[in-house]
Amino acid sequence: MKVSRSMAAVLALLLFAVTVMAEEKRWVSSEGTALKAEASATSDNVADVLVGTELTVLESGGRWLKVRIASGKEGWVYAGRVSDTAPAAEVTGGDGGLFGDSMQKSQINTAKADSARSIRGLSPEADAYAKGRGTPEKYKKAVDAILARKVSDNELKTFLKEGKIGEYAQVQGGKQ
Amino acid sequence: MKSLLCTALLLLSILATSASAGFFEAILDPESKEGKIFSGATQVLSSSKEIDYKTERAIGESLALEGLQRFGSPVANESLQKYVNLVGTAVAANSKRSTIHYQFAVLDSSVQNAFAVPGGVIFISRALLAILNDEAELAAVLAHEVGHVSAKHALKSTQRAQLIQGVGTITAASVGGERGKKFASAIGDMQTVLFDKGLDKEMEFEADLAAMETTYRTGYDPSAMIRVLEKLQRLEASSKDKKGSWFSTHPPLGERIARLRAQLQKYPDYSSLASVHERFVKQAKVK
Repeated sequence: MKVSRSMAAVLALLLFAVTVMAEEKRWVSSEGTALKAEASATSDNVADVLVGTELTVLESGGRWLKVRIASGKEGWVYAGRVSDTAPAAEVTGGDGGLFGDSMQKSQINTAKADSARSIRGLSPEADAYAKGRGTPEKYKKAVDAILARKVSDNELKTFLKEGKIGEYAQVQGGKQ
Repeated sequence: MKSLLCTALLLLSILATSASAGFFEAILDPESKEGKIFSGATQVLSSSKEIDYKTERAIGESLALEGLQRFGSPVANESLQKYVNLVGTAVAANSKRSTIHYQFAVLDSSVQNAFAVPGGVIFISRALLAILNDEAELAAVLAHEVGHVSAKHALKSTQRAQLIQGVGTITAASVGGERGKKFASAIGDMQTVLFDKGLDKEMEFEADLAAMETTYRTGYDPSAMIRVLEKLQRLEASSKDKKGSWFSTHPPLGERIARLRAQLQKYPDYSSLASVHERFVKQAKVK
């Protein structure tokens, strides 16, 4: 009887541990990540997931992980897009002023960090710096042009697919 | 009973180990070198939080203006610039700091060099691009620079940057005043670090390892970083004028290569990843 109780305890422990293992956590670390219906980059999107999103790992299939997000949705994510620690958030000044004396140090969420990506062209501060330094106009225009360049998500996907890179390597019959 | 429990726990530990083992084991293990690099970058971000992104970006743009005057204007080839931005954006999306906006430009310079300014604007010279052989090598160079931006190395390198908080608000109206002078002085100090002295040796090693990690995550052959450094090593041996190149502003190439070779052991499947030679030749080897 004593032995069977011990066995039951061990079994319970095993079950508990298996549950804990099944609750292994990861965080989305790459921009432009989506949960896919299957372990394939060309399968349907289940949901777009922002950097920092917590994932519960349900299953591992080589370079793909089956995960669940807080909303309960499940799908597959490429392992190169996740990290075992939550990524640091960007920091922004609270009053919007450059070097503002009352600058609030706040950690912003990933959605706000994404808005930082919308910055285009030379900032008024750098423009003022250029004026102060007497920077020739042609260099200002050149930096303006560099800052105005944008690669869209679709352009990037097409580029990776054509190059058979990363998550597109397997389905395209690449080397990976 | 104790031994039974111990056996069960041992079994559990084996089960847990095998469950977590796999393709990205090296990245996901917090005790591994790769795991420490990524958590290290996180610590750097939090320790530098007194400088917000908007400030960092304004510093970077001002440095970009100085960089162009020193190294040359962008190459007038929109197709090439677009291609380099695609490769750069691909690796930046899988870097430790993937939510900011990165831009890349090829400068018309005959010195083999690449550099990054705070905030995410990254430059590679025409001469460095010319010695590369495939897309994975370009990805490695750009990922190295993304690594510097990600870890805010330039900001951390400049003592004056620590005083930036005291500069106050910079506006077009106040740029001629004391605050503007302090800002310009800080930019001057950072120019010396980025363009002349070079960053701290350990920061370069960190960026090398981050480049290998980031290219691997993206799906490029991570050994490309080693190939680039080996090319530079050969060039260095025969080069008389090293001013302004990766030879003069970076740590000894032999040491960097040795560290990367050791790191490559963490990616046993590296040779199966993409190099993309043909597209690179078509897009980047233009006159």
